[in-house]
Amino acid sequence: MKMHVHFYSHLIDTTSLDIALGEMEISTDERVELESISQDALHHAVMHAVMLKLSHEDKKVFLKQIALEDHPGIWRFLHKKTKNIESLIKKTAKELHEQLHEDIREGKKNQDKD
Amino acid sequence: MTQQKYSPHYTYLKNKWTQKREALQREMFLAHKDAFLWLNNHVRHAAIGSLSAIIIASGQPVHADELTKVPVPKEEVAQDLDPKVFVVRDLFSVVPKEVRSLTLQEEDQVAQLLSTHYGFRVTAQLQGKKLNRSYGLIGAEQHLARFPGDTMVSHFATADESNKYYSSGMAPGLGGFGYFTHSRQEMTQTDVMREKYYIAVQSFLSPGFHEHVKEYIDFLRYRKMLVVNPQNGKAVVAVVADAGPAEWTGKHLGGSPEVMAHLERFDGSQRGPVLYFFIDDPEDKVSLGPIDTIL
Repeated sequence: MKMHVHFYSHLIDTTSLDIALGEMEISTDERVELESISQDALHHAVMHAVMLKLSHEDKKVFLKQIALEDHPGIWRFLHKKTKNIESLIKKTAKELHEQLHEDIREGKKNQDKD
Repeated sequence: MTQQKYSPHYTYLKNKWTQKREALQREMFLAHKDAFLWLNNHVRHAAIGSLSAIIIASGQPVHADELTKVPVPKEEVAQDLDPKVFVVRDLFSVVPKEVRSLTLQEEDQVAQLLSTHYGFRVTAQLQGKKLNRSYGLIGAEQHLARFPGDTMVSHFATADESNKYYSSGMAPGLGGFGYFTHSRQEMTQTDVMREKYYIAVQSFLSPGFHEHVKEYIDFLRYRKMLVVNPQNGKAVVAVVADAGPAEWTGKHLGGSPEVMAHLERFDGSQRGPVLYFFIDDPEDKVSLGPIDTIL
C-alpha cells in the first residue's frame, strides 16, 4: 500500500506495528486495510496534538501549509511557534501504537479462545 | 453469489480501529472546529472547502484536478460543522477514485458505513438479488405521469416546485411499472413521494434477471434505495420506478429531477457518481426523500 509521507513521517517508526500485523493470520488485503485505518488514526491523533499547541490564528496558517504539503515551511512555522513539538509527536504516536498493539493482543486472545 | 469470508482477528481489529479512528477524528474536528471552518470558507470553491478540510485532516494531498470536479452547492456553507463531513470522510477512504464497480469487500464496507451513519440497514444484496453495480454515474430522468391525465400543468403541488422542476419535463412514456395510481383522486402521499424521489436502474443487467424476470420485477417495484453523493455526503431515500439508462449512454442509473437536485448531481459533462444500496425496510419505516445522518 502506498504510504502518504506526512510532515512528521520521519519521526514515526511503524516497524513494530507492521511486524505485528504481518504475523497475524489475515490476508494481504485485510492487512493493507488495517494499516490504512491505523495510519488514519495516527494522523488524526498527531494533527490534534499539534493543533492543541497552536493559537487560533496559528492553526489556520498550519492547516494552509498542510494543504500545500509545504513540509519545510511547516517545520519552520512549528519551531517558531512551539517548543519540543517533535517529542510531542513521538509521544502521541507511541501512545497510540501501544493501544493498537494491545488491541492486536486482545484480538489474538479472543481468537485463541474460540 | 459467493460471500467473502473475513478472518475473525481482522474483523475484530477493523471494528475496534475504525471506532478509534472515528473518535480521534471527531475529537480533532470538534476541538479545532473554527480553524476547519475557516479553511472551509477560504478555499477557492465553497463546495470543496469541507472536502479539502477532510482530505487535509485525513492526510490525503489536495489535488487541484480532483477539487474542480466537485460541483458548487447552491446553499451557503453551514456555520456549524455539518455531520455530512463525516460521511464524506468515511466514504473517501473506501470508495475508489475511478468510477468502477465496487468489489464485494468495498460493498460490505460501504454498506456498513452507510448503515451506521443513517441508522438503518443498507446492503448491496437483498433477498438474494443484486443490481449490476452499486456505484455509478447518475443521469437526469424526467417526471413520470402518476395517473392517466397527469401533465406538467397538474404535476406540481406548489408554484415553488413548479419553478424548480418544470423545465425537466415529463417522460413521453410511462415508468417501468406504469402509472403510480389509477387517478388523481386515488393518489396518496406515498404515490406522490414515489414519483418525486425515484430512480431508474439497469434491472436488465442484474445478475440472474433474464432467468427470473418476474421475480426481479416484483422485487424491484418501488424498492427503496439509499442514494448517496459521496463527494458532498448528500443522501436521499428513493424508490426504483423505472428501468434504464441504456448501456450505451455510459450512465449507470437515472434520478428524478428532485433526486438530482438534492444530491447536486448534473447530467452531461458535469455528471458524477453516486452510491446506491438497497434499504432493508420490511416494516416500511424509512421515509422517502432527503435524509440526514444520525451521527
